Amino acid sequence: MRYILTFYLLIPLSSLPQTTSFDFHLPENIKKFADHLFCEGDYLRAIEQYDLIKQILDNDTIEFKVMLGYSSLGFHQESNEIFKVVNDKSNFYADAYLLSLKNQLLIASKLINDSSIALFNSIQMKSFSKLTTISMLYDDEFNIPKEKFISPFDEEERNSVSSFYDYKVEPQYKSPTLAGIMSAIIPGSGKMYVGEWGDGITALLATSLFAFLAYDNFSADHTTRAWIFTGLGAFFYAGNIYGSVASAQIFNARIDFAFSNGLELFLQQQNYFLPEYDFCK
Amino acid sequence: MRSKLNLILLFLFITTSAFCQMENLKWQKSDPSYEKPTKQVHRDYSFEADNPGELIAKSLANAYWFFISDVDGDNCPFRPSCSSFLLQSVKETNIFQASLMFFDRFTRDMNIAKGDEHYPKVSAGYFYDPPKNYTLNQGKIKYLPPAFIADDE
Repeated sequence: MRYILTFYLLIPLSSLPQTTSFDFHLPENIKKFADHLFCEGDYLRAIEQYDLIKQILDNDTIEFKVMLGYSSLGFHQESNEIFKVVNDKSNFYADAYLLSLKNQLLIASKLINDSSIALFNSIQMKSFSKLTTISMLYDDEFNIPKEKFISPFDEEERNSVSSFYDYKVEPQYKSPTLAGIMSAIIPGSGKMYVGEWGDGITALLATSLFAFLAYDNFSADHTTRAWIFTGLGAFFYAGNIYGSVASAQIFNARIDFAFSNGLELFLQQQNYFLPEYDFCK
Repeated sequence: MRSKLNLILLFLFITTSAFCQMENLKWQKSDPSYEKPTKQVHRDYSFEADNPGELIAKSLANAYWFFISDVDGDNCPFRPSCSSFLLQSVKETNIFQASLMFFDRFTRDMNIAKGDEHYPKVSAGYFYDPPKNYTLNQGKIKYLPPAFIADDE
């Protein structure tokens, strides 16, 4: 009796799992899997899955998510290619438009000239204003009053934006010509002017030493040695003037580097002023 | 029974020892090198030059390498080294400008307080200071922060 009961229980238990069928290739199931990958941040595989079903489901959320995925991966050109097919009647059109502007900024690093659209709500309008205003920093012809420039930004953003404005209007460059002239008058002083104190003092010592050796040897009628030291001293002197000009140029390149890096970091931290999209709740 | 077992053991022993001798390469003494492996600087001692300025610089560099540097060792804290900096500078500019660039580099080399906060480094630990940054052509300057580690050579 016990064997019959066990047998009776085992047969349905082992047969039932075989009877339930689950079609992984149904568009709905592919979408679920793609959504899961998207929420995990695996955008590339999520986009692959969305590509399989986008013709079948015709879903504007999918289009926007693919666009967002490409942008998050750094494929801004591909992201903007998707924007071209987004329907302007779609609920996501305004967000897709904003995202395309961000992509545009990252692709070309230049002023955004596009105008706002009627579909923008107040938050999107604010994002648009901030993004287009900050893009002015990439333009060579920058002439806008400071108050107007910082007005679209929130209180906590204004400090950073204000410092970027100051840099753009009046970058703290050092003059290569002045550095060269200073080193010509007092050897090493041009280097000190650009903040290279160690190099400046070394140049002053080296030039002074050779000048003294030349003078001393001329005084002692050691003409050959005196001319050798004169030559060396002259090269150190001229090399220092040249080096001071070069150092000022490198200093200016450092200022530019700090600006562009700081701006990029700031924009990343602010998510390019775009709203946060959460499709994973 | 015992004699059969001995026979099997003998067969096994003979085949095992025979196969051992069948290897083509016999064990023999090896000659290991106990020299510390070092990264050799491949220097081009030729006098190939595109212009007289390059020829003068190459001659000076060859003489310095042969009589001083090869004997004294690799002591320059920069990459490219000061002699290579001169050669690269001549290629980038001309002999006069390259001489000024070299004397400026030499002054910076003499600075005992050059420190880690000024230059980026190559992976081997040398300061990375390419001549392209000193040609006075602002467009050629490629600023790298001191925390940057460039590829060696």
